[in-house]
Amino acid sequence: MGISSGPKPFLTVGVLFILLSPATGFSAPGRPRVISCRSPEKETFTCWWEPGDDGGVIAFIFFLFFSSETIYECPDYKTAGENSCFFSKNDTSLWVNYNISVVASNDMGKSVSEPVEVDVVYIVQPNTPESVMVSVLEDNHGPYLRVDWEKPQSADTRSGWITLVYQLRVKQAKDETWEEYDAGMQKYYKVFSLHSGKEYMVQVRCKPDHGFWSEWTTPVYIQISEVLTNNCSRWAIIMYYKSIQTSRFFWQHFLGYLLLILVSYPQNGKSEEMFNALVIPGFPPTSTYEDLLVEYLEVYDDEKRELVLNEKNLIEGSMKSKSTSSDNDSGRGSCDSRTLLMEKCVDESGTEQELSQYGEASWASSDSEGRDNPASPGLEDGKVQMWPSVFSSPQSHNFQQQHPGGLRASHHSVPEISCVSPHVQTCCGQQDQLEGFQFSKPGLYRYAQMYSMDTIECKHVAQEPQSQSQSQSQSAEYVEVQTVNQENVLLVTPLSNPEGPNPELSDFSGEDYSKVRDVTSDNVLLLQRDLSVSQFVGDYCQDQIGQVDPCFLQQQQQEQTCKLNAHLHHPASTLQEDMRLAENGYVDTTMMMS
Amino acid sequence: MLEMSKTVSWLTLLCVSVTVRGAPAPICPHGHPGCQAISLADLFDRVIQHSSRMHGLSSDLHSEFEQYFIPNKIQIGTRRCHTSNIVTPNGKENATKLAEEELTEVILKLLMAWGEPLAQFHESMTQHADYNIYSSNKALEMSDMVYELRNGVQKVAEKMQLLGIISNLLNGQDFLEGLDAVDSSEIFSVDYPNLLHCFRRDSDKIQSYLKILKCRILPENGC
Repeated sequence: MGISSGPKPFLTVGVLFILLSPATGFSAPGRPRVISCRSPEKETFTCWWEPGDDGGVIAFIFFLFFSSETIYECPDYKTAGENSCFFSKNDTSLWVNYNISVVASNDMGKSVSEPVEVDVVYIVQPNTPESVMVSVLEDNHGPYLRVDWEKPQSADTRSGWITLVYQLRVKQAKDETWEEYDAGMQKYYKVFSLHSGKEYMVQVRCKPDHGFWSEWTTPVYIQISEVLTNNCSRWAIIMYYKSIQTSRFFWQHFLGYLLLILVSYPQNGKSEEMFNALVIPGFPPTSTYEDLLVEYLEVYDDEKRELVLNEKNLIEGSMKSKSTSSDNDSGRGSCDSRTLLMEKCVDESGTEQELSQYGEASWASSDSEGRDNPASPGLEDGKVQMWPSVFSSPQSHNFQQQHPGGLRASHHSVPEISCVSPHVQTCCGQQDQLEGFQFSKPGLYRYAQMYSMDTIECKHVAQEPQSQSQSQSQSAEYVEVQTVNQENVLLVTPLSNPEGPNPELSDFSGEDYSKVRDVTSDNVLLLQRDLSVSQFVGDYCQDQIGQVDPCFLQQQQQEQTCKLNAHLHHPASTLQEDMRLAENGYVDTTMMMS
Repeated sequence: MLEMSKTVSWLTLLCVSVTVRGAPAPICPHGHPGCQAISLADLFDRVIQHSSRMHGLSSDLHSEFEQYFIPNKIQIGTRRCHTSNIVTPNGKENATKLAEEELTEVILKLLMAWGEPLAQFHESMTQHADYNIYSSNKALEMSDMVYELRNGVQKVAEKMQLLGIISNLLNGQDFLEGLDAVDSSEIFSVDYPNLLHCFRRDSDKIQSYLKILKCRILPENGC
């Protein structure tokens, strides 16, 4: 469009040129063309033209309003540069059609361009956002970028005259493709799932509610330092350490039993036989730990998933319980993207009412924009550990803070447990699920690793506040799932509980531990009993992943009428919109509030 | 026990905060006790979203019809809208100069003027076999929205009056009935592209004026 100045002397010269040299042109000038008209702030606008092929001197630009017969000439040829016409605030009326033409004339004749109809309201293209600032921050899960910017100065959003929405895009400096993120009307954004040691470029642009996107801002380059280590390698080290620890724990336990036996069987000769007898694989913890070890390895090998591990939980969680709780450790070996887990868990029809109805409003209040671990009101560590199968408090905090919608989802899911499944069913073998998902929530993936179902996280976490109303003993390491009572509360009791197993769960009477495999959308707690069964069901679930939301997978298999938990998906609908563009990155949770 | 009381107290806090956030005095039809009024901010958000949706529909329909009816030059020159006689601010300065009452009146006038024409428009669309069903549905939705938005803006106006933000709105009921009498039947009867062009413009005006009104009265909410 030209920013060059000095058309006036040119025009003057041109006019003079015509006057003084009557024989300038041999023909009428070529037909000029109005290129475009744009308004940066919906208060002024500018039109640009280009001359026709044959040149000639363009003398005037005409425009006329619909409602009047009068033809007006361009009020300002200079302000916007060469071949332009600038309409100032006084000359600009909105919701009026300007009919604009350019006339090129020389002494041989005139040539008029095609008229262009312009309503200023529909040609708004703002200036670029300003003061783009990018900073590298870090939280439990690794480095992330925080991008802040200001609206373009010319746009008046304070009076509500213009409403701007923003978009930013990020890429590694060496990459070809950009990741685009919609920031809505907010003026900051957090970008997750970044690699340490890389240089990134960030750009921002804006758009009025109906209008054109502005240009991208000049890119901001930011380097993420290597000191913020690659989580994967860091966790690899910790994983090995964990596995060594676990096996050490196992051996300690084993040796403890051995000691017991040696004490109770004072005959020395028999002790050796007892020792050998103990080596029989029927020893309960063995399989569990092997599973754990296997899972660790699985997780570690998969670099793509990049789960973010919570370091301190690794140490804490490993010692918690034999049966299910130490499963927390798995999945810590990799980094994670946050979004997809919530996708799986969520449903369309969550409502605010249910949130409060189940007394989980406390969770909503604990939402925080930041990624710090919010306190979980009403929960004590002892109680949290009562539900050891998937989480301990720090992990649940991670889950909480991810997304307010997600919180709502988790709140809805558990309280509606209305069925008890006596069947031993499992869903979606862990390894299969691992392949399929791209997890986006670092805190959740921990759970997903062990149980490979997002629903588990949702439900388990939501169970935490419920635990208040359950009669549970304090700080038991091992918990046995008893039943789901009439109030849709999952009762778990410590192993020392003398009540004994519920007859409904007589299947488990012979076992000390039951490993929670999954909690489906039918609010059924699926306990793993038989690996072969799990394998089959896992295959079934695997097939379904592409089509059916795993939260509903078990629905057909349930013979009882279970209340369908449809609430988990509500936040996803909004989430998915946001995540559409951010495939590998996190969704900024605060965006949902705008 | 302790946890229960904690939960209860927390719930109470939440409920209280929710109610406190709203208007200073709850206004409920029929004086139902304990029913909560929507805050003015929420009301504004709703009507603005509504008007945005309405404008979107009008844009869609306008571009759909423009494909089929290419106006010739004669038509362009004589194009006018039946709402042309309603005086509306056509720029930011003029709009921001208007008082809240005047701005609200302009919005209501526009909404009143479009109720009937859009209903007729939809009616005639359904009678023509060649118009596709999706356009017809959009036209119906658009027509309904004008009425709903009118109600919404009236509620906003009532709330503003209650809160003392604006003075009496030109006799209230009489004012609105007076608008109904605008005779616009002959202008829009057949010329649908023109009608849609006019409505697209007017719906954008309505949306813009609502936003100005909102940011003037509640400057802290996203302005």
